[in-house]
Amino acid sequence: MVSDMRRSRRERKIGDKANKSPQTQPVKGSSFSLPPTLGAPGFAFLDNTRIDQLRERTFSLLEEHGVFIDHEEAVKTLKKAGARISNDGKRIHFPRFLVEQVIEDTPKSVTLCGKTEEWDHALPDPEGRFIMRTGTGAHGFIDGETGNYRKLKMTDVATIAAVGNHLDQIGFISHPFVNGVPERTSDIHGFAELVTLTPKHVWIQPYETENVEYLMRICALAAGGESALRKRPIASCIATSFTPLELKQMDVEAIIQASSYGLAIHACSLPTAGGTAPITMPGTVVLAAAEILSMLIVTQIVGSGTAVIATPLIFALDMRTGRSLQSSIEVMQGVSMSLQLMKQGFGLLTHTYGSGSDTPDVDSQSNAERSLLGQLVALSGADILGGVGQLECATVFSPVQAIIDNEIGQMLQSFLRTPDMDDESFAWDLLKEIPQGGNFLANQHTLKHCRATLDPQVFLRQARDTYEAENRRNVQEHARDIFRSILKKDPLANLPDEATIREIKKVVKAGDAKILD
Amino acid sequence: MPDLEERLDAIYENILDYEAKQVAELVKSEVEAGTDLQIILDDALIAAMDEVGDLFSEGVLFVPEMLMAANAMKAGMEILRPLLTDSDIPSAGKVVIGTVHRDIHDIGKNLVGMMLEGGGFEVIDLGVNVAPDEFVEAAAKHSPDIIGMSALLTTTMPNMPKTIDALHKANFEGKIIIGGAPVTLEFAETIGSDAYAPDASAAVVLARGMLTNG
Ligand code: B12
Repeated sequence: MVSDMRRSRRERKIGDKANKSPQTQPVKGSSFSLPPTLGAPGFAFLDNTRIDQLRERTFSLLEEHGVFIDHEEAVKTLKKAGARISNDGKRIHFPRFLVEQVIEDTPKSVTLCGKTEEWDHALPDPEGRFIMRTGTGAHGFIDGETGNYRKLKMTDVATIAAVGNHLDQIGFISHPFVNGVPERTSDIHGFAELVTLTPKHVWIQPYETENVEYLMRICALAAGGESALRKRPIASCIATSFTPLELKQMDVEAIIQASSYGLAIHACSLPTAGGTAPITMPGTVVLAAAEILSMLIVTQIVGSGTAVIATPLIFALDMRTGRSLQSSIEVMQGVSMSLQLMKQGFGLLTHTYGSGSDTPDVDSQSNAERSLLGQLVALSGADILGGVGQLECATVFSPVQAIIDNEIGQMLQSFLRTPDMDDESFAWDLLKEIPQGGNFLANQHTLKHCRATLDPQVFLRQARDTYEAENRRNVQEHARDIFRSILKKDPLANLPDEATIREIKKVVKAGDAKILD
Repeated sequence: MPDLEERLDAIYENILDYEAKQVAELVKSEVEAGTDLQIILDDALIAAMDEVGDLFSEGVLFVPEMLMAANAMKAGMEILRPLLTDSDIPSAGKVVIGTVHRDIHDIGKNLVGMMLEGGGFEVIDLGVNVAPDEFVEAAAKHSPDIIGMSALLTTTMPNMPKTIDALHKANFEGKIIIGGAPVTLEFAETIGSDAYAPDASAAVVLARGMLTNG
């Protein structure tokens, strides 16, 4: 492994370079007229006509078929705002004017706050970058040291926090599923542990309606009180629709409660193409979009209007076995389309899996799938790439994989920095003077830019002899070295103090007492 | 008029081509022609579904193809059912299936249920969020050969052993199978269920194997 000194020098240099390169601004939120050219960064899977078609279908699905909403209060409020309720009283039809108005009123930017400003992330990133997030909900763990699979336990939360804390691409961290604590309050236990171990922004994924309140209380304690939390929301919260076209009680409740604390909502739809959604991706994309927009409307009208991050997580059924897939090539198409629709079609912030694989282990398939997925998602302009460390279709976490993912993330960020087109980047003076047989090895221009190239810490570039001499060490073993070094590092500063941790533990206990009864 | 063999073949082929309407019509005219019901059943409908089952296990047929063939076979069965006595109606066995308490993930459970139906089982689907008591009630009401439980959340998996306890207390004597993304063979063994399958195609093979092997 390269020494820290060299590493920091590289980071400094790359940092300098990053500051200098002008970035194209992400498309800002006009929701009703498409920008004349596709936005930055430039991967245009769909042309404007196709984006328009997806958008029109989304509007008509919302208006003509509507969404089933299982929450009386919310339905009443939506009706007042102009939504049409069909006879059974729960299917809500959203007229186009209402959807358009809400999209327009929705905040188009948000800062995901850490416990101190140093860890804040403004979205969209002013330089057109993305941030990454660790995989959520995993109940299985690939031990970083042995590489063996086992159930994820409480001490692994500390490992996930440590890895998340020290990897530069990780903007925020989510809680896994923890075994060995009462199952029904596992989200509360896992979140309480995580929030005390990281100064970075954290993600809340409630498992039950009644757990939401305790998660919020813990969050407020970690932020230094409710008003401190409102000022600097150190967490954001997921709400998921029940595909096809339904919002359950818990999710409406999560939206209401989280937005009352000012937390941003990741409005998430998880359609399974061929299962809960059409097998053809345009249908799945439109279905997901309609669900996400319905959550957006609920947030703006029933909640208190906090930021919403459109989070299409597209899945597909394997037609041979009926298993759920997150990284099939059709899913990647669907995700690319969804991102373009959400970003360019509706002007919203976006979040999806930018990593993750359907294979159970940190193997070649895993790295191929996540690299493909990551590229498409990053190039489609997603603001957040989730799924770091995630395996087996979002059910397993591997810290070693997370370290590899971080480096893939660095590569993608480097790629996204559109090169300048000026004399300096053309090396124009040199090009014009290069003699026959000349080279660019030792000149000022190469020296000046040599540290702007990505210097990988995990990916290898050895010659065969070195490879053999090192007993064929591969990427995984390098990543494992880094994993070990991370575990030896001191915890980061600005974590909740002992007194706060005690208070948090009391809330966990209170949650157990109430919920497990 | 083609001979009987050819006519039965046509029903068989139409099942393999997922032509539910055709199958119904052909079965109807066969009944009208006075052909022995048992022959229509065994040599056309069941023979076709056996073939479909084999093709599916070999990975030749995909999930929706299997399901559509099952639908076509069902369309033929609907014509025969009123004419058959209960004991003549073939069934690979009876299965009660549901997603456990506090869990609303349903697509895996639906798929397993449909595939079992396709595999010749009679399936009673209790839906999602099914409490142990409801499984017990259904066991008493339907006397299934197999009860299948699905759980997708680690938080709801403990409802599987709870349901198994309740079923045992109620003296349920059939088999209990479980599944869902977080469920593993190890878990299935520790909670005292009879078997587990990682996906729907395995579930059909499993269920068939259980009943033929006793
Ligand atoms: C789609 C999905 C949803 C949809 C479900 C829609 C629906 N109509 O079912 C929605 C959005 C509603 C949802 C909600 C939630 N979900 Co969810 N969901 C998923 C996802 C992505 C896919 C599940 C799926 O549909 N698979 C497709 C089917 C076909 O596969 P399957 O169910 O595994 O079934 C196959 C086999 O397991 C087997 N099988 C299944 N049942 C049975 C039964 C028997 C008897 C047999 C033999 C075999 C068998 O055969 C099936 C067919 O091949 C999974 C991730 C995953 N990899 O599973 C997360 C996942 C299961 N969900 C998760 C979570 C946390 C939730 C929520 C709590 C999130 C939230 N805050 O809203 C809620 C919980 C709601 C509740 N109380 O149940 C976590 C669970 C984490 C954990 N360890 O517990 C997962 C793993 C995602 C994650 N990483 O966070 N979810």
